Amino acid sequence: MSVEIDTRPIWIILALKSLRPLFFLLLAVLFWYFINMPSPAGLTPAGQNAIAVFLLCLVLWVSNAVPLAITSIFAIVLVPLLGILTKKETYALFGNEAVFFILGAFILAGAVMHSGLSNRIALNIIGKFGGSPRRLLLSVFLLAAVLSFFMSEHAVAAMLFPMLLELSKSLKLRPGRSNYGKFLFLALAWGCVIGGVATFLGGARVPLAMGILKETTGATIGFLEYTVAVLPLVVILLAVGFALLMILYPIDVAGVENAGEVVEKRLKGLGKMSFGEYSVGIILLLTIIGWISMGRTLGLAAVALSSVVVLFVLGIVRWKDIEEYVNWGIILMYGGAIILGSALDKSGAAAWIINGVIGRWSGSPWTVFAIVSLLTIFLTEAMSHAAVIAVLLPVVIGISGKMSVDPSIMTYSVATPAGLAFILPMSTPANALAVSSNYITVRDMAKGGLIMVIVSWVLFNLMAAFYWPLIGIGRLR
Amino acid sequence: MKKNYLDNPGSLKIDLMLRGTRIDDPVVKAWACGASGVDIMLPQNTLVNIPCSEMFTEESPYVIKKSGDGYIITDGTGTVPVSLVPKPKYYSLKTSTGVPFSKIGVFHGSYTVITPSPRCDFFNRGIECRYCAGNFDVRGVENQVYSVEEVLETVAAVLKEGASGIIYLSTGFSPGPDGGIEFLKPYIKAIKKRHNCLVAVETLPPKEDRWIDETYALGADSVLYNLEIFDKELFEFLCPGREKLIGRKRYMDALEHAAKIFPNGTVASHLIVGLEPPGSTCMGIDFLTGIGVVPILPIYRPSTDRALRIGPLTTEIIIPVYKHLYKKVKINKINFKWVRDLSMVTTPLEVRALVDVNEGAKNSIIENFYKSKIGLKTAWGLSTLRRKLRVKDSRDPSDSSGRE
Ligand code: SF4
Repeated sequence: MSVEIDTRPIWIILALKSLRPLFFLLLAVLFWYFINMPSPAGLTPAGQNAIAVFLLCLVLWVSNAVPLAITSIFAIVLVPLLGILTKKETYALFGNEAVFFILGAFILAGAVMHSGLSNRIALNIIGKFGGSPRRLLLSVFLLAAVLSFFMSEHAVAAMLFPMLLELSKSLKLRPGRSNYGKFLFLALAWGCVIGGVATFLGGARVPLAMGILKETTGATIGFLEYTVAVLPLVVILLAVGFALLMILYPIDVAGVENAGEVVEKRLKGLGKMSFGEYSVGIILLLTIIGWISMGRTLGLAAVALSSVVVLFVLGIVRWKDIEEYVNWGIILMYGGAIILGSALDKSGAAAWIINGVIGRWSGSPWTVFAIVSLLTIFLTEAMSHAAVIAVLLPVVIGISGKMSVDPSIMTYSVATPAGLAFILPMSTPANALAVSSNYITVRDMAKGGLIMVIVSWVLFNLMAAFYWPLIGIGRLR
Repeated sequence: MKKNYLDNPGSLKIDLMLRGTRIDDPVVKAWACGASGVDIMLPQNTLVNIPCSEMFTEESPYVIKKSGDGYIITDGTGTVPVSLVPKPKYYSLKTSTGVPFSKIGVFHGSYTVITPSPRCDFFNRGIECRYCAGNFDVRGVENQVYSVEEVLETVAAVLKEGASGIIYLSTGFSPGPDGGIEFLKPYIKAIKKRHNCLVAVETLPPKEDRWIDETYALGADSVLYNLEIFDKELFEFLCPGREKLIGRKRYMDALEHAAKIFPNGTVASHLIVGLEPPGSTCMGIDFLTGIGVVPILPIYRPSTDRALRIGPLTTEIIIPVYKHLYKKVKINKINFKWVRDLSMVTTPLEVRALVDVNEGAKNSIIENFYKSKIGLKTAWGLSTLRRKLRVKDSRDPSDSSGRE
């Protein structure tokens, strides 16, 4: 049991407790008002309801007023109830690939942890990179980022997650309390997110954007061209992200070097690698190879789940051993968020927001670029990265044609920011896994994430204005 | 001139505890047979356990006598009417496993003390406290542990009879960082689950404060880490185990933290009167009350082989210490209603009449209410509600249900 005692005067605690019903009442009234007010021009009633449900869930997610999963379940109930999507469509969306990828990641992580392999790897990481607490954090951060250059950021998060859980246990970090624990898991999430935008390989969104660009205009952007254009942003964001984490979560462990002797002792205590560790290790390795080589064609979830099946078929793990590692709350949360994202998309709400915002602010190509990138960054918190690109990019390419701007430049304004999701755990599996560790809360993630989102947007636009012309990517003005 | 303490039950209690009483009645003799003291009710419902072993009471001026239908205590110059406190009925009953309840639960007035295991590891290491009364003096006893069920049966018997309203669980030293709370955990949880009663817990200070938080979260309504001796050198000499394996500083820090976690007046610590100079006890009182802890001052009752008592120790010397206690508790606004009606110690409430005669009867309605059955239930209800509001389980922040 890990408890915390609220030592504030009892009357303050009581007053705060009574705020809770008031908070829900206010939320209900606002929600009711929102869905009953006349729809603005161009927005369908279903779209209006979708926005209302999204805002309601956003408040509940960030305030943590009810468990994350329950907010998602509420969304699943409201979406068909308010006629945004049909029942059939709504529940079918829960069967999304991303949800099953997260499930696979939890099961794989469970197998790795149960076998003791993650413990061994974590101890070795501490032994090798744990010269100082800061060095260890930097190693985790860079490892997550650099690996995400070459393989899906989701897969990197899934791979490193069990090691970090084990590492936190070895360092006796207290979930929810330890700054070092928060730093560690945010380093994982941010490392994956930032690293994931560096190349075409970090996720499906950039290839998808390139596909849309090619289909609509015939133009293309090469792998190297894209990476050269984006890499400075990635490098600066990594530096800024690490510095920000240092400020937000000052290191509160005396020194991991003390752990050196303990690590050595514990490694000795672990003895030789067991058969189970070897087996799980081989399957994990094959999974990673599968993610790299077949992730695009088969899908990351299919690769992960195939490995899960192999684990059970070969009898390497039993369901009883794995069950406790599967965080169903996070899976429910993610499923609900996907339904919500689709509701925004299919009801026309997302397109209404995009057209409204771009239409209002599209004075010059420069402002369009800035607005589109900002819109993308915020939409990607609520919708899947691919959905944002699918909804936003065709509109943006259309506008660029009208403004006689190179559509490939405008493609960057959607493709790159669509990966920069720092604020919410439901925006990307890396964030969801980090929150599922229980070391960070949604509020922790949102606090630093908001700053990172603003910094990313400003840097991205500065880069477009001053760096791209130097490497021959056309000017906006 | 010889002082007369018969007029004030508070000072009489102190004098009786210090000097004991002789017994001039076969019924009382039979009553006290085998025990180190006899429970007597003095005027104003003042309960006292008076030492009565012959060795101890040879020079005592006090005698208990039969007088008409009742009893009196006399010092040769005057008398006070007293009554014998009958042994609780549950003392004659046994658990379903055949253990006499009297062995498990020892009646001390408002508290019944239960020590599920008599083991104190200091004995096994030869560093036991030099004054240890011997409740725990059972070297190497491994198996003599009362089961949760046996303890529950005892608690049920105590509560059914209404003998005490508060169950006091204690344990000796055990190696490990938790101070003994892990061992008491199943007992506390089971008692709290089965019965609506208040539970006080006495352990040694745990190594980390989080165990104190957990003690509160588990359901303990009151906690005691008994410093026993405030003087640094005497602490080192008299409590070698505590000094070596816990340290005086940890006692102080743990008490300070506990006072922030537990409600006002429910964290207490014993300071034994008679094992250190009264001035040093007063400094201990200043320190403890300064951090919000109620000092409890038992008087050292020497046994034949441990003549550690400082001398001279008289009631005239001790009474100012108790008065100091009462004043300090009042100045620091510490609620002292929790520590009351104890046969083995003189509580601040009993000293009140010594300091302020008018105050003596002032709060009696509230006090009597909390002594009553309904009052105890109210205290339990408030304590439980307070715990519900204050304890947050930080295991799973993502699974929060909106706790602030
Ligand atoms: S801690 Fe000291 S007083 Fe308590 S039982 Fe052990 S030796 Fe005796």
